[in-house]
Amino acid sequence: MGTEAEPREKGKAIILVIDRDPHIRELEVHFLDQAGYTVAFEEDGNVALAQARKIVPDIIITEILVPKLDGLSLCRELKADPRTRDIAVLVFSILAAASRAREAGADAFLLKPLAEHTLVGTVRQLLEARGARIRRAQDER
Amino acid sequence: MSGEIRGSGRPAPEAANPPIKRLTTGSRELDEILEGGIPENSLNIIMGEPGSGKTTLAEEFVFANADDGRPILYLTTLSEPLDKVLKYLQQFRFFDAAKMGSTVQHDRLGEELAKKGVGALHARLKDAIKTMSPKIIVIDSFKAIHDLAKSTDEMRLMLHEVAGLLAAYNTTVLLVGEYRHEDIATFSEFAVVDGIIELARNALGTRDERYLRVFKLRGSSYRQGFHAFDISPAGVQVYPRLVSPVEATSYKRDAHRAPSGVPGLDAMLAGGFWTGSSTLLAGPTGSGKTTMGIQFILEGLRRGERCLLVNFQENPTQLAYQMAEIGGKLDDDARGRLELLYYSAVELPIDRIVVSIFQALQRGAIRRVVIDALGDLAIAANDPTRMHDYIYALVQHFAVRGVSSLLTLETDPPIMASDASHGRLSHMTDNIVFLEIREKDGTVVRTLRIAKARGIAHDLQPRELKIEAGGLRVGKGRS
Repeated sequence: MGTEAEPREKGKAIILVIDRDPHIRELEVHFLDQAGYTVAFEEDGNVALAQARKIVPDIIITEILVPKLDGLSLCRELKADPRTRDIAVLVFSILAAASRAREAGADAFLLKPLAEHTLVGTVRQLLEARGARIRRAQDER
Repeated sequence: MSGEIRGSGRPAPEAANPPIKRLTTGSRELDEILEGGIPENSLNIIMGEPGSGKTTLAEEFVFANADDGRPILYLTTLSEPLDKVLKYLQQFRFFDAAKMGSTVQHDRLGEELAKKGVGALHARLKDAIKTMSPKIIVIDSFKAIHDLAKSTDEMRLMLHEVAGLLAAYNTTVLLVGEYRHEDIATFSEFAVVDGIIELARNALGTRDERYLRVFKLRGSSYRQGFHAFDISPAGVQVYPRLVSPVEATSYKRDAHRAPSGVPGLDAMLAGGFWTGSSTLLAGPTGSGKTTMGIQFILEGLRRGERCLLVNFQENPTQLAYQMAEIGGKLDDDARGRLELLYYSAVELPIDRIVVSIFQALQRGAIRRVVIDALGDLAIAANDPTRMHDYIYALVQHFAVRGVSSLLTLETDPPIMASDASHGRLSHMTDNIVFLEIREKDGTVVRTLRIAKARGIAHDLQPRELKIEAGGLRVGKGRS
C-alpha cells in the first residue's frame, strides 16, 4: 500500500518512489524528505501509473523489479502519455540496466545500493533540467 | 538519456557485469588473496576463536579506510568491553588518534541490546545510516547477540531485517564473532553473508601457527587454502600460500646453458644444465651437496649473474667462510650480486620461508637459486602435501622467470626419501643428480650419477667425485 503525496507546496517538488523493498523505500523517503522534497511511494507498477496520472509528480524513481507493471514498462507508459511525459523518470535498480533504461525513455539511471548523496544529487539535476525544459516550452509558446 | 546524469558515487555502468569495487583490508597480501580486497557493499563474517586476531584484522580494515569522507562505525556488543578494545588498539601502528571520534566512531551496543532485546540492533543501524551515513559498519561480536535472543526465530527475524537494511544501503559490513566450525551449518548469518574469513591457530611442536582462510566471497574469486599470518605492532602480516604461476611453464628452453661450476660435470651434460631448468641434487650426508651448491652459485657470480643461496644450517658467516675456501674471497661486485637467506627451519613455518624466497626473487633479477636443503624445509612444513605443493610452485616460478635452480635433498637420514615423496620430488625437477658414497676396492669413494637431464644427451655413467681445494671435481674414469 502506498502513501498519498501531501498537497503540493509552492516550490516543493513531488517525488513518487516505486520499490517493493521496504528498507530501500524507507531510506529513500527519509533522505529525499530531508533534502526538502515531498515524497510518496507505491509498491506496484500499475498503482504507481494511476497515481502518476492523478498527481503528476515532478520525478518518479522506480526499481525495474516491481510487481504488476515493471519499472521499464511503467517508464514507457509515462513517456507515451502527453499528460505524464514531462515527469522525469529515474530508474534506480539492483540490475545494471542503464542501456535498457535509456531505451525505455528514462531520464537517468542509478545502480543500487542507495548512496544518498548520489541519489539526492541526481534528483536535483533532474529537477533543474526539467525546470529548464518547461521554461523553454513556455517561452516558445 | 537527457543530461547523461550519472551518480558520482555509483556510476551507471553499461556492462552487464559491472566490476565490483573493493576496499583494502590494510594488508596488501590479504588484498591479493581476496583478489583486490573486500567487495564494497558486502556483508562479511570474520570468525575465529578468542585471541585469533579477529578484532585486530577488523580494526586494521577500519583504519585503512578511514579517510576524510564518510565515517566508520564500530559497534561493540557483549564480548570485550569497549575500553579494553581501545586500550590495546593504541598499541598498533595503524592506529590513528586523529581519526578517533570523527572518522572512526566506536560505540557500545551491549547495554541497549540487554535492555531492549536483539531488535535494538536493527533500530540502531537504521538510525546510524540516517544520521551518519557510515561507509563501514563493524559489529563485534555479532555472535554474542545470539545469547540475548529469546528464540531462534527471534534471531532469524532480526537477522533478516538487518541483512535487508544493510544490503539496501551503500555500506560495507564486518560481523566479527567467536564462531566455531559447527556454527557454519547452524547459524543463519552464514547463509546470508557475502564473505567469510576464518582465522585459526594450530599448535605445531613448540610453536603456534596462525592460519587464515577465505571460505566464501560472493561474486569474486579468491585464493583458496590456508595462508599463514602473524600479528605484530604493524598489524596483521599475511603470507599468502604460494601457488603456481598463471603463465604456463614452457618446455622450450632458451638456447643458453647454465654451467654447474663443477669441473667435469658440465662435460657430462654437453655444456651444462639449460638456463632456467631445475635440478634435484640428492645424496647422503657428506656426499658433497652443499659444496656443489656453493660451486653452482660461484659459477653464476663469475658470470656476472645475481644469485640467491637459501640455507638452513650454516649462518652467513659460516657460509662466507666455506665459499672463500672453495672459490677464494669474493670481490665487492660479486658480493653485491649474492643474496643469502638463512633460516632456522625449527622456528619458522614453511609459508614464511617460501614467501621470503619468492619476495627475493621478485626484488632482484636473480638468475640462479640454490636451496640447501629440502629436508630442512620439510621440518618447517606441517604436512608433506603442503611441502610438495610449495616446492612445485617455487620450481614453476623459477622456470617462468628463467631462473636456474638447484635443490639439494638429504637421502641419509631419509627425511623425505620415502619412495612416494622422493618420486613426487623427482617429477618436479628437470634434472636429477645423485651423489653417493660407496666402497670400491676396499676404499670409500664419492660418486656422481646423472639420472635425468631434460633435453640433454647426458652421460649416464656414474663417475668418481673428488673433493679438492677448489671444491668438487668429476673424475674422467667410470666409477
